[in-house]
Amino acid sequence: MIVLGIDTSAYANAVGISDGDKVLADSLYEARTDSLEQIVANIDATLKSAGLKLADIEGIGVGLGPGSWTGIRVGVTVGKMLAFGTGKPVAGVPTLESLAWAAKGEGSPVWAVISAGTGDTVYAAGYDFTDGRPVRRGDYYVDSVQGLTGLLKGPAVLAASRAEGYAKIIAGSRVRGIKAVEARPGGAAIACLAAARLERGESDDALALTPLYLKESTARAYVNRYAARTKEK
Amino acid sequence: MLILGIETSCDETAAALVADGKTILSSVIAAQLDLLRKYGGVVPEVAARRHTELIGYVIQEALDKAGKHLADIEAVAVTAWQGLVGCLLVGVAAAKSLSYTQGVPLVGVHHIEGHIYANRLSHPEMPLPHVCLTVSGGHTMLLYVGGDGKYELLGTTLDDAAGEAFDKIAKFLGLGFPGGPVIDKLAGEGNRRAFAFPRPMLRAASYDFSFSGLKTAVINMFKEKVARGEALPLADIAASFQEAVAEVLVSKTLRAAAERGVTTVSVTGGVSANSRLRAAFEEACRRRGFKVFFPDLSLCTDNAAMIAAAGYAKIERGEISGLLLTALPNAPLPGQAGGIV
Repeated sequence: MIVLGIDTSAYANAVGISDGDKVLADSLYEARTDSLEQIVANIDATLKSAGLKLADIEGIGVGLGPGSWTGIRVGVTVGKMLAFGTGKPVAGVPTLESLAWAAKGEGSPVWAVISAGTGDTVYAAGYDFTDGRPVRRGDYYVDSVQGLTGLLKGPAVLAASRAEGYAKIIAGSRVRGIKAVEARPGGAAIACLAAARLERGESDDALALTPLYLKESTARAYVNRYAARTKEK
Repeated sequence: MLILGIETSCDETAAALVADGKTILSSVIAAQLDLLRKYGGVVPEVAARRHTELIGYVIQEALDKAGKHLADIEAVAVTAWQGLVGCLLVGVAAAKSLSYTQGVPLVGVHHIEGHIYANRLSHPEMPLPHVCLTVSGGHTMLLYVGGDGKYELLGTTLDDAAGEAFDKIAKFLGLGFPGGPVIDKLAGEGNRRAFAFPRPMLRAASYDFSFSGLKTAVINMFKEKVARGEALPLADIAASFQEAVAEVLVSKTLRAAAERGVTTVSVTGGVSANSRLRAAFEEACRRRGFKVFFPDLSLCTDNAAMIAAAGYAKIERGEISGLLLTALPNAPLPGQAGGIV
């Protein structure tokens, strides 16, 4: 099954194409402010580099985040609308899962970590591998990178962008056996993970697909805290 | 030519199908009223998240209501300029993707040009050139429309948009949201001569506007009455405030028309639905021998039919955007120095 994978969660337009576990193309466009401007052109160029046309694509995978809120809205909207326009099935893939996949074969468990952009807050999740696929164990983690040390009980692989930095902070709190694996969200990784789900017939409703923010907006957090306080009184 | 229009510049997720820039086959608007009431206004991140959830459903509903399929679409027009950038980009991302999958032209539209076309869509016979006042919760602009796609900005607000003043006063008086319709309704029961609120910049030579001082004057008078324990004639306050806004807008617009030697006035945008503003324009234009046009009420507030109509006109003029179209929060109108095409 030929699958197009997209991820725009990390200030880059990652576009890849896979056929089963075979990578046909994998491109990364560094996009600081022009993610929206370039994304469809990036997709078109990646298809051409693999000698494919849009009509050859049999399924679409899209990185849901977490990551840049604006970034994931671009990728998720493009992914769902490409699926709507082509009538092909779509599967949303948590971006953390694609980082874990990038550290396949490095050991287990793999903790995938993404900077939440504010201070030292990170999004994270721990993964084991079953039949070569990452399976998340436990809930998503959204808090300080130091707080992550409480969850890492023993040796683990840390898959992240700037993984060495995170590994040093965790090693500083005397957690032993942390192996840093440098990983960025990749289009081909998203395509491979989406293909596994699509081949099992597990697709998402294109129109209903929404980003995985993992954090509420500041305004919503404020309103919720205010409501909780008023309720206490 | 069947055009799919998409509009997500503020807090309305909208899609429409318009044939040949003239016939509206469907116009779907999902307003985020629940969120407005909860937060007392538009929160960009909250609005952008809602757009992402709704955009696909709104487009599907526009197709269903028109009895059309995606394959029938011959072009996609989208609001790309002017608005909240996080909101605009959801519509632009959707439009680019559909233009790409369907292999049809993509055309980016300036939100203000959309409002200009809301009135041309309602009144195809409206003559050119004319003077256009476009006034909403997000902008207050006076334009000289010299011809198709030829715009000259005569004046704009220096602070609050007129509709923003309605919203903020309604919020302060506890009347609810959005402020335009609630103040309009309440004012109907009040005396518009009860209070002499300031008419900001009425006598100024420029065509610019300012509504922040008027808003403060209304709020201060209300506070003083509360402090003195006086009765609060809310209907009179609403009517007098509305009258001050209408007088400034009508006076400046008609002066601009006279100076430019045109006798046609176009009033568009959310505030153009205000009943007192319409009556004041009708009355003043009758006296001067001018003709005034307002859009159908369904086309006053943000909608995608006006974007499809403006997009059709742009395609006719050969102004097609490529796949590198992007969203810009502030951009001059087309035809102006540094303007977007």
